[in-house]
Amino acid sequence: MTTRRTFLKAAPSLLTLGAMSPRFWLQAAESSGSNSDGRILVVVQLSGGNDGLNTVIPFDRDEYRKARPTLAVPKDDVLKMEDHWGFHPEMTGFADLYQNGQLSIVQGVGYPNPNRSHFESMDIWHSCTRQKNRRSEGWLGRCAAECLSAADVPAIHLGQEQQPLALSSTRLAVPSIKSLDQFCLQGAPTEKLAMAVESPPAVENGLLSFVQSSTSTALRVSERIQQQAKSYQSTVEYPDSQLAQKLKAIAGLVHADLGTRIYYVQLDGFDTHSQQAGAHSGLLRQWTGAVAAFLKDLESHQLDDRVTVMSFSEFGRRLEENASEGTDHGAAAPLFLAGKQLNSGLIGELPSLTDLDQGDLKFQIDFRQVYASLLEDWLGCDSARILGKDYKKIPVFHKT
Amino acid sequence: MNNWHEIDPMWAWEPFSPPGGKLTREHVAHLHRRTCLGATISQIEMGTQRSVTELVDELIRPLPEANSTDPLAQATLATGNARKLSAWWVYRLLTTDAPCREVMTLFWHGHFATSADKVTNVNLMYRQNELLREYAFEDFGKLVQEISHDSAMLIYLDSVTNRKAHPNENYAREVMELFCLGEGNYTETDIRELARCFTGWEVRREKFRFNRYQHDSGEKTVFGKTGPWTGEQGVDIVLEQAALPRFLVSKLIHYFLADEVDIPEKLIEPLAKQLRDDGLQIGPTLKRLLSSNLFFSKSCVAAKVRSPVTFAIGLLRSLEGTADTIALAEGVGDLGQDLFFPPNVKGWDGGRAWINSSTLLARANLIRRLLDHENTRFAKGSLAELASSLDRRTGTDVINWWEATLLATPLRSDVREQLVSTIENGSGNRDARLRDALHLFCALPEYQLA
Repeated sequence: MTTRRTFLKAAPSLLTLGAMSPRFWLQAAESSGSNSDGRILVVVQLSGGNDGLNTVIPFDRDEYRKARPTLAVPKDDVLKMEDHWGFHPEMTGFADLYQNGQLSIVQGVGYPNPNRSHFESMDIWHSCTRQKNRRSEGWLGRCAAECLSAADVPAIHLGQEQQPLALSSTRLAVPSIKSLDQFCLQGAPTEKLAMAVESPPAVENGLLSFVQSSTSTALRVSERIQQQAKSYQSTVEYPDSQLAQKLKAIAGLVHADLGTRIYYVQLDGFDTHSQQAGAHSGLLRQWTGAVAAFLKDLESHQLDDRVTVMSFSEFGRRLEENASEGTDHGAAAPLFLAGKQLNSGLIGELPSLTDLDQGDLKFQIDFRQVYASLLEDWLGCDSARILGKDYKKIPVFHKT
Repeated sequence: MNNWHEIDPMWAWEPFSPPGGKLTREHVAHLHRRTCLGATISQIEMGTQRSVTELVDELIRPLPEANSTDPLAQATLATGNARKLSAWWVYRLLTTDAPCREVMTLFWHGHFATSADKVTNVNLMYRQNELLREYAFEDFGKLVQEISHDSAMLIYLDSVTNRKAHPNENYAREVMELFCLGEGNYTETDIRELARCFTGWEVRREKFRFNRYQHDSGEKTVFGKTGPWTGEQGVDIVLEQAALPRFLVSKLIHYFLADEVDIPEKLIEPLAKQLRDDGLQIGPTLKRLLSSNLFFSKSCVAAKVRSPVTFAIGLLRSLEGTADTIALAEGVGDLGQDLFFPPNVKGWDGGRAWINSSTLLARANLIRRLLDHENTRFAKGSLAELASSLDRRTGTDVINWWEATLLATPLRSDVREQLVSTIENGSGNRDARLRDALHLFCALPEYQLA
């Protein structure tokens, strides 16, 4: 954990910013202190509808094999975790996490009257409301505005895609960052700019003072990230995938103690209507390998008790495979939480393969119950204000 | 900021008459920054020879008779790519000779926010943009009627699925809350009843269509008026509400005068009355706002944060610049103002919401990229050539020029010295030094204000 002392020790690098006022030092040291206590949520969105049944596999169920003549994973290949279920063979990263007590699998997550359109269902997960209501804010955007606005940049979306609705807020703008370079001042006006923001402006103007102090924070952020790029050593080898590189960048930002509480990344391609087996294996490998490396990296920097990773998809897929050796849009599916502070294991029952809702698995746990638990027990926010009502929490975190 | 509650409304909206009878460069630059994305130094100097009324009349002039179609727009639409449409608008913002109409079109784009992300049809997005431009200073009531039939809007607010049995309340809500009245000026019943008026509205083959089989032709009660109202009649009832002109005037004041003021009712009332008396014609009210004592007073100078568009395109226009429009549109999007892709139904908040560490660094980095990009030109040449042609020889000459055209608030003397020394003693040739100085200049807190 970065303490006030380690920040001050790292501080000489900031001297390159030129002479700074004592006020600046104080703010920097203080904000660093409070950030260290801040817990961080990393969301990994699996876009397209992940096939939950070939992720957490009920390998000894006849219904599973019968419904999936070509796609059922052979019993011997499954990474058996408990008596009746195991992971897809590509998920060795998650098998390790599970054995180390760092993985919580919430079973049968969904919502009533499931919608099987990607966009609509994703919007429901993001905004927590159905289409007839207006959706100008996402749950995380609302969380950032309601509860985390003390941070300079409470949430960051890392990626090339359009910003997910989950992060929208009508009250604050969440940045979408394509690469970390965007967070570093290019060219070399740093010192001169630092000089320009260190003392009061020529005229009294509230807006100007605001921009001035924001600029000084921005320079600090830029300086820290540049420093970070030089000093941050990761002994963990990340897989060679885009998702892994994004998570690695986030590990660097967490280490830099930016104060950001929510990070959001996406992995697309889970819409496996045909020839599912190969594509799905690759995706599972990419996803679980990246998350496992990320947690290992955080652990090696003693940051693992500050971070929880949630992976979700807008829906699962049908029990029955289709005629193209793929699966079509379904409903409930497992959701994954990874981190050190979790009650590891399976939460909820393995889904019934006989009691179905129009051929799909029924949901047992509303996704908003998971959100409520994360908001209250992890981020320390009032979940009812953010979700619009009280959802019953599920016991995913250790009692602290 | 100072307290607007102490301002005398009589004085506030009276036409401004400059002390000494002549507008200063500061006055003219202020007017141009707010209404035209900036002006060149020569435009500013010429402006000082004219009266406020002349300048404002020039800004808010009728749309010229529709001449031939815009060939660039047609070529852009043929690509079907909304990103290119965004670049098309950037080109227009950079080169138009009616910049105030573009600034107002941008206002309406935020007001009637519609995103290509959901609409996914560039033709419809373009058509809506042209509609906003056509009605920029004109009859607001007609604009609301038109936008209610606009295909992009119908798709964006889910009115394409407005069936009799399941009225969709989305559009009805936005018409009241975001377009016309503001929160607190309607009830949930008004929304439900208005939604019934809109049933049967559909989009077919990119066009509005009324499907009478899906229309609920029963009686509805909207704001206490009962009848078998159609959607158009429902909108008319909303347009009659007393809250409407007050809502619009206060939004215009925040857009053109000052970001974060609490505007007292007594200041809004005279303009709201005028807007209503003018049959909701925007032009005359806007003229009065922009030529008022209040507009030119201390309360309004440097009282706005530059939007990404005024930040980047304002810079180029003030220095006769042109740039790669695709890169520029993307850059402006990275700063938070992605044209044709507003973040949500509320559009852009503006003000302080534009500013955080990530956007400030992105602002500075965008300028660096623009200045280093081979397609960036100033008056068709280099920055050094432009400075020479304007006879700006010394570092001080250059900084004075930039300060007069670009800044709403003065530079501190030590910062000015830094800038001058970058030009005179920096590294590289004169053009490189000028570009370094301009980069620093645009990263200054002072330049973030308009």
